[in-house]
Amino acid sequence: MKGKAIEIVGFTKKFGDFTAVDNLSLDIYENEIFGLLGPNGSGKTTTLLTIATVYKPTSGDIYVFGHSASREDYEVRKLVGIAFQEPKAMWIDKPIDLLNWHARVVGYSGDEAKRVVREVMELLGLWEHRNKYFYQLSGGTRKKVELAKVLIQKPRVAILDEPTAQVDVLSKHALWDVIKKLREEGTTVLIATNDMFEAERVCERIAIIYKGRLRALGTIEELKDSIPRGDVIEIQFDGLLPESLRSELEAYGRLELRSNALTIYVEKGEEKVIDIVDLLKGRGVRVKKIMVKEPSLDDVFTYLTGAKLREE
Amino acid sequence: MGLLRTLLVVALWDLMKLKNQKVFIAMRFAWFTIQILVFARAVSYIVSQVVLQYTGGVEYYYFYILGVYTTLLYSASIARGYMIADEFDDGIVEYHLSLPIRRNLLAVGRVLGSSVSTIIFTIPMMLVVYYVLGVCNLAIVMVSLLSAFVFSMGIVSFVILIVFSMKSTDLTDIVVGAIDSLLVRLSTVFYPLPVIAASGIAPYYVAAVLNPISHASDFLRILVFPEYHLIAPYGPVALILYIAGFSMGLLILAIEYYEKRLEAGGWR
Repeated sequence: MKGKAIEIVGFTKKFGDFTAVDNLSLDIYENEIFGLLGPNGSGKTTTLLTIATVYKPTSGDIYVFGHSASREDYEVRKLVGIAFQEPKAMWIDKPIDLLNWHARVVGYSGDEAKRVVREVMELLGLWEHRNKYFYQLSGGTRKKVELAKVLIQKPRVAILDEPTAQVDVLSKHALWDVIKKLREEGTTVLIATNDMFEAERVCERIAIIYKGRLRALGTIEELKDSIPRGDVIEIQFDGLLPESLRSELEAYGRLELRSNALTIYVEKGEEKVIDIVDLLKGRGVRVKKIMVKEPSLDDVFTYLTGAKLREE
Repeated sequence: MGLLRTLLVVALWDLMKLKNQKVFIAMRFAWFTIQILVFARAVSYIVSQVVLQYTGGVEYYYFYILGVYTTLLYSASIARGYMIADEFDDGIVEYHLSLPIRRNLLAVGRVLGSSVSTIIFTIPMMLVVYYVLGVCNLAIVMVSLLSAFVFSMGIVSFVILIVFSMKSTDLTDIVVGAIDSLLVRLSTVFYPLPVIAASGIAPYYVAAVLNPISHASDFLRILVFPEYHLIAPYGPVALILYIAGFSMGLLILAIEYYEKRLEAGGWR
């Protein structure tokens, strides 16, 4: 069995009266790609920044390869590299200067630093942008500069906060391959994301966090199996749903209702869908679109929290 | 990474930023030269006869331009602090706090880097002043640079403490602006201590005697014009020890703050 790379034990972080993370406990194993999945403001970034020792825990602690983030912060920082959600640079900075400096900070000497920086910039398609000012770079290119820092550092634990946000679709796939390669080279990867497709595509295990609390933890299959009934029926309709219909629909399975759309978690969806449509039509509800599908991570998230991962 | 290499690498952060400010430096140099060669002469012409008796025989123009250089040194050090405030605003402090560097070395490295940047920034101005004064003694130039560096370390540490305590660009502006106007004015930068004493305003006099900017400018004056020590509040050794004590005290506080209290968040 793999050892623990990160051990989060009863971690709570408060900012004044606001509790950003509430009593979070989970383990991340060595050499896995682990995802923290949750909407904006759920506590993902706070958790990541505390692992990176940028924040201090209010209570509880986080251990990285056995080192306490609150008591042995320097030891932890030697093991961890982070790509921030918001790229960290000022508008007059140039990627080449930032990355050369970063390479030196993480221990490369002058010529070696230049060589590694060039390799990584070429890998990420950044070399042609090396002498541009930061304000001249697109959002996706800025995110790549953040990822480049981690690739230069090759830490034992790589923390990636929404690594492909603002990145175009083609580059996303390339970056996912880079992240997987990082893991193959021995790095434990921790990704925070609110992109369920990214989570499904890249992560081996996932923790779902909502309003600062852990809601579920497991592999993607385990999380999908956590929905007790196997299928998801999504229906879009015109007008309002009569209140009396709600209890009748709930007899088929758990119901989520949002303005002109409803989601029902059912068993044997193909069979139930005909009855449900008949029921809606009989009550004068005009159905616009109907879909029966296997549950996605988005559905798991909605099932567990009653909220959507991304605002629609 | 060894201790010295870590400090050097951290300090390079500030020097890297200086590289992108060539136009700004050139403009400040041009303005400073005009100030020294034109406005300082005009001011001296107006007041020289009145204050000559209070400058220990040093011509007021010479007294004045060393004061102007000291205020430049002070404001350039403060400006480094504003850059750090901007960095906090842009989240760069979070990045620095995540790096594999001990927090105390990060603090010392930032202070050293900011101070070296300040010195590099102000060297052209210092050379103009020394050219006008006719100083060509390398030892005097080197000691001046060293004292300027130590003074700058204190001011940078001071402003870092304010920036990180306030965690707000607006509050930093207000607090530093208020301290700035008081510190520069309640000093011997523009008026010799005997003139301030003769004014009869006791708080002004006490503030000027305690003010590190007074000590920095008076030390430079004694260095260039030894006769000035006749009217300075302390001898050169006491003045430089005062500046060193001021700077080291604030540096230790800045290190303490970085190590024990500083964390990201709460900005804006």
